[in-house]
Amino acid sequence: MSEITENNQTQQNKSEKLWVGLEHYYDDPKFLEMAQKEFLSSPLSSEPDSEFGRREFLKLMGASIALASTSCIRRPANKIVPYVKRPDEVVPGVANYYATSWLDNGQGFGMVIKTREGRPIKAEGLLEHPVNRGGLSARAQAHVLSVYDPDRARGPKKNIVNEKRTNSDSVEVTWEAADKEVIEQLKKGKVRILSGTLASPSTESLISEFSRAFGAKHIVWDNLGADDVKEGQALCYGQEAVPRYRFDKAKTVVSFGADFLGTYLSPVEFTKLFAKSRHAGPLMSQLVVFESLYSLTGANADTRVSVASDQLFASLMGLIHEIVVVNKKSSYAGNAEVQKWLEPYANVAVNNGVSSEIFSQLAQELWKNRGESLIISGGLNIPTKQAVPLQIATNFLNSLLDNDGKTIDVNISPNKTYKGSFKALALLIDEMKNGQVSTLIIHRSNPIYSLPVSSGFQEALNKVGLVIYTGDRNDETGRISNMFLPDHHSLENWGDGEFQKQVYSIQQPTIRPMFNTRAFQDSLLTWMSLGGSKSAAKDWHDYLVNYWKSNIYGQWTKGAKSFEEFWVDVLQRGVMDVSNLSAKRSATSGARPFSLGALKNSKVEAAPPGTKLLMYSKVGMGDGSMANISWIQEFPDPVTKITWDNYLTVSEEFASKNGLKEGSLVEVTANEYVEALPVHIQPGQHSNAVGVAVGYGRRFAGKIASESGEEVSNRSIGQNAFLFAKLENDQWIRSGMTVKVTVIEDKFHPLACTQGHHMLRDKKFEVKDRNIIAHTSLTEFLKNKKAGIHQHGELKSIWPEHKYTGHKWAMVIDSNSCTGCSACVVACQSENNIPAVGKRYVLEGREMHWIRIDRYYRGDPEAPETLYQPMLCQHCDNAPCETVCPVVATSHSSEGLNEMIYNRCVGTRYCSNNCPYKVRRFNWFNYLDHNDTLKLAYNPEVTVRSRGVMEKCTFCVQRIKEAKQTAQDKKVPLADGDIRTACQQSCPADAISFGDNNDKGSQVSQLFNSDRASVVLEELYAKPAIKYLTKIKNPLMAQVSSHQEGGH
Amino acid sequence: MFTRDQLITGNKTLEQITNDICEPVETVPTIKWVALMLGANSTLLIFVSTLIMIIGLGMGLMAVNHPIGWGTDIITFVFWIGIGHAGTLISAILFLFRQKWRTSIARSAEAMTVFAVMTAGIFPLLHTGRPWLGYWLLPYPNQRGPLWINFRSPLLWDVFAVSTYMTVSVVFWYVGMVPDFATLRDRAKNKIRKIAYGALSLGWRGTARNWSHYEMTYLLLAGLSTPLVLSVHTIVSFDFAVSQLPGWHTTIFPPYFVAGAIFSGFGMVVTLMTLVRIGFPKFKDYVTINHMEVMNKIIMTTGLMVGYAYATEFFIAWYSGNPFESFVFINRAFGPYAWSYWIMVTCNVFIPQLFWWKSIRRSIPAMFVISICVNIGMWFERFVIVVTSLHRDFLPANWGDFIFTWADFGVLFGSFGFFLTLFLLYLRLAPAISIAELKPVLNVGRDNNGHDASSGGTHHG
Repeated sequence: MSEITENNQTQQNKSEKLWVGLEHYYDDPKFLEMAQKEFLSSPLSSEPDSEFGRREFLKLMGASIALASTSCIRRPANKIVPYVKRPDEVVPGVANYYATSWLDNGQGFGMVIKTREGRPIKAEGLLEHPVNRGGLSARAQAHVLSVYDPDRARGPKKNIVNEKRTNSDSVEVTWEAADKEVIEQLKKGKVRILSGTLASPSTESLISEFSRAFGAKHIVWDNLGADDVKEGQALCYGQEAVPRYRFDKAKTVVSFGADFLGTYLSPVEFTKLFAKSRHAGPLMSQLVVFESLYSLTGANADTRVSVASDQLFASLMGLIHEIVVVNKKSSYAGNAEVQKWLEPYANVAVNNGVSSEIFSQLAQELWKNRGESLIISGGLNIPTKQAVPLQIATNFLNSLLDNDGKTIDVNISPNKTYKGSFKALALLIDEMKNGQVSTLIIHRSNPIYSLPVSSGFQEALNKVGLVIYTGDRNDETGRISNMFLPDHHSLENWGDGEFQKQVYSIQQPTIRPMFNTRAFQDSLLTWMSLGGSKSAAKDWHDYLVNYWKSNIYGQWTKGAKSFEEFWVDVLQRGVMDVSNLSAKRSATSGARPFSLGALKNSKVEAAPPGTKLLMYSKVGMGDGSMANISWIQEFPDPVTKITWDNYLTVSEEFASKNGLKEGSLVEVTANEYVEALPVHIQPGQHSNAVGVAVGYGRRFAGKIASESGEEVSNRSIGQNAFLFAKLENDQWIRSGMTVKVTVIEDKFHPLACTQGHHMLRDKKFEVKDRNIIAHTSLTEFLKNKKAGIHQHGELKSIWPEHKYTGHKWAMVIDSNSCTGCSACVVACQSENNIPAVGKRYVLEGREMHWIRIDRYYRGDPEAPETLYQPMLCQHCDNAPCETVCPVVATSHSSEGLNEMIYNRCVGTRYCSNNCPYKVRRFNWFNYLDHNDTLKLAYNPEVTVRSRGVMEKCTFCVQRIKEAKQTAQDKKVPLADGDIRTACQQSCPADAISFGDNNDKGSQVSQLFNSDRASVVLEELYAKPAIKYLTKIKNPLMAQVSSHQEGGH
Repeated sequence: MFTRDQLITGNKTLEQITNDICEPVETVPTIKWVALMLGANSTLLIFVSTLIMIIGLGMGLMAVNHPIGWGTDIITFVFWIGIGHAGTLISAILFLFRQKWRTSIARSAEAMTVFAVMTAGIFPLLHTGRPWLGYWLLPYPNQRGPLWINFRSPLLWDVFAVSTYMTVSVVFWYVGMVPDFATLRDRAKNKIRKIAYGALSLGWRGTARNWSHYEMTYLLLAGLSTPLVLSVHTIVSFDFAVSQLPGWHTTIFPPYFVAGAIFSGFGMVVTLMTLVRIGFPKFKDYVTINHMEVMNKIIMTTGLMVGYAYATEFFIAWYSGNPFESFVFINRAFGPYAWSYWIMVTCNVFIPQLFWWKSIRRSIPAMFVISICVNIGMWFERFVIVVTSLHRDFLPANWGDFIFTWADFGVLFGSFGFFLTLFLLYLRLAPAISIAELKPVLNVGRDNNGHDASSGGTHHG
């Protein structure tokens, strides 16, 4: 019905309407459309092919102009919103601590990570961890910053590489797409996994499961490994192992080139143990170091013998000769074979220009202390061709002295973090070359950076179907891989570690993964499940828990406890609490029989004459994996005090012969590789050797590591010294090669040294009569406890002095324990939000470190002793800085703290001028880090200072306040040891004590008032709250040495 | 009894004097003046832009570092404050001692003082990390609770000393100009000048009552500024002497600084006066070669005093037996900044000895060069004190270097632009020699050798 009516109506309408044309009359759709558009620019409706109508356009323009201009008027209001649903363990403003662990190239650390609102902000050593016992290295401190590294990978990528794997372009992929591609390739078999030592029992177990599923093989190679030690052990004792060295048990320690306090094997552990043997008293140990370069261990030696790099092995043999042949000691005394072996080394001392008395005295000392001595050798700086013979001789001497099983432990709890070998890597390269590898997974290893082109690794990669890289950034190796599938940062991931046999520690995540990364182990599990071989675990955490349940829980002997309880216990402690572990570890075991057959392998061919190049790693930079961390780059090397560079260290003699100055640019040629390096003149170094540190020259590590501040750059900080290495007869020649050094005329490369070094030879300005560091020899000290301390009678003040009725904070630094390792410097940097300023500003003297380690040489520049003095705000009772500030921005607290009031400071810098210790630091520019990720690393307890204000050590006042608050809440008095400053906590040598000097029972007050304590620059009567315990050296030939003057 | 030669040459009549002195104020500036002004202005521009950069970006632009917390800013501050001293000395102390030869140069010397102190005043503010909070150094009631200034800090004494000195100098200078402003007002031909100078002359009528009050005020102000001559640089020297830094912590500093300040101040007066004589040749009759000679004598004498102080410092460093102290002085003379020490000694001690020769004392080119040397030498004296003491102090581990940056040069040279701009403006806007004081020292109506028994505080305009 209605239809008809409508029709009728239209008919009717048509008949009535006026029309302009036939189209109009017949309602032609085309006409209608046209008619609508006749006045085209309808302001409201838009044309179909344009995005905006006119009015809309104007509206948007107006709005955007309004928004653009108003946004400049006001800062956006950032609201602070409390948790609606607060996570159970998070209380805003209260820190959470998680026990975890970290393996840094063979150095294992138990750590406690302090987190605030879900962000890790500070690493502390885990006191209960049997390996590092609360100590941390500078690198471990900086590990926290690395999680916020803005140049870290943000997600998986696929690199488009050509045949030669050179030009690469990266495209982002999803994990699913990547997995699909990977699994296709994995199914073809011939899979190889290359990694450094993982020392993680569960990961290793997972890798072997994975290997079974895909026919894979796991190749372990450590860039800074201990192949020579293992080979030496195997040859001498038939057991491939890296021993645990027990310095606490040793009264005489002799090192042949091993920088065990700085970089060798596990320096933090060694420093802890060594410091224990350094208690001032008749039983204090003695350290003798034979080396060519000047290492941190050499700097701490009681007697340091500078030997030519070619003669390192010979020196050790000379020492053995002295004991066995000359003194006729030990069971080998009459052994003809041994005698024949030792004969050529009878005149080593004479040949090397070393006092033969050193050898005879040392031989006597060692024999006297047999069973309580320790010979150690090894490290990157050992000339490669001497490395294994040196190990054999070392083992022989240790066995001969009955040290094996006593100071050297292989049976109870040996090291488990150096499992890699160069030979395995060489085999892998061969396999790759022969096309026997179709998939190569590279995990936590950067072979393209650390292997020279001549290794053939890169070339061999061309024959590999798919290279998967799981590093933390698309770096040197990442860029030539096909798939870049980034692993979590270790602070984001679960894991475990067995750093020494039966010492199981746990690795807990302390932050949710910041970026789109995936745990390496989860990748393996995913591929396994995609490949059809399902693992029982649904993810990596599950796998880890299952592994601990079935493998480690069983070893736990403390008593009945369900696994769940056990697991919570482990997570809380960070390390498996085996009750008798410490007792077991401190026991001794029997000596292993030494196989004399090994001596055959212990021969060193005479090296060609000439200067030799030795590689070494630096305390801060290590293998270079943390090159993009500013704290590490700005870390003053404990020996040279140079930041932001590597350089060729040369002796003074070498420098003057070749006309070199500090910073001269030279061309270094070794193993046919040429590189330009600046020169650093190192006193005490042997003129036959020049050294260069590895770990620098990272071209693709990120913005910090490249000099121009770009992410990818040809100009990197320092040069890559790994490239001087060469493969020769199945041996990686990394040290001891003949080197040619040619001067590049008139070219200088300034080295950013935090301490003046240029006045070294200027006799006019010799630092004499200053009595800055109290130091003496053991013989003097035993006669007089105050030996070496410079004292000025009674000093008086004409003014009334401060009275401290409550607490009085004080610190004591034991110069005798302090090795100068500088871990405290980075610990303080992390705790107190101290910026790194960059090379240019270090050159201008503007580094910001609140604690610095002053290094002084003493004696003949050809064989100087080194004295270290940690220098930080002394919190003087009569503080010179306090009186001169016109606005009272630095004031004295009732507890003896010298307080800095940042927001009151106008920045006259008078306080710094009047500070005799020059420990104050000024914010020359605005150093505040606005970077999205880096700013998360700030400690919210400590003000981030702005431009124009002075700052300095606060004695970690935030920690004092926190401990006081906690004690108050618990209604208990503050106990000694409740407050540990950041530097104290980190110190591997336990050289720093801190506490209340008014509490007579406290450790600090006892040390403070002991005879060995003295203050620096006492005559100024600033009355510092820090005292230093006299540095005591225990040299051989005490009567001949220059230690006689003592103090006065 | 010594007598002076005629103080004003050319047998001037009173009218001539008025005309001569008012001429620069009342005529169109010469090309020379304009050229000098443009030069000064462009230097001033450098100054201003450097200041903006430093305040905008940070003190880090300058050479100061750790351990050298003070650098070009403080050196230049002390330098300009020192320059200021001659003005007050000439106008106040020489006035009290009835040294009539001061009359011709007193006005310009005072102007120099005022401008030098103004220039100096910029630097302590600039050298702070947060100059916008400089007012925190003033003791005024505020809402920051118990926070108050630290009266123990020499920097605070400095604030008081310099601001007092500045105030008194300005008042003294201005009061002295009042009768002359009235002269300018009376001579003015256009309305603006009339109003401006009328306001500046504070209704001066030249009545006996006016004169009587004026003379007394001037005498009192002279008495008031006299101790300031000694106190300001003494207190500036406390900035250093009160600290415990070897090389700063010495009791000789107050007299040594005052002597040095007078030395440098006269150096600057001679420099400026030679320039004024060139710029306004008619002034040669008023600022005669005799005036210049007297100043040169003072330069030579104070130069010797300064030299004596240098020697004493060395002696005390040795005599004290303090190893830090002796090191600092050996380091000054033979260390990496020995060049600055020897520039200082050469310019301040050796070169002024040339003034023993009368011909050099009276030679305009010679005295111009020597006075410039004195200025350079005195800048380096402060450089030596500030930088060489700080760069190597107690603990050798934190010794450092001081390397000038463009910003250091910018503020140092720029400050001359600021100073000279003000001085050139002054030469065009105020009578550069006191007309009122000049007339009484004319020899009109006296025989040349006669002693003027009626001289003293009573001048007749």
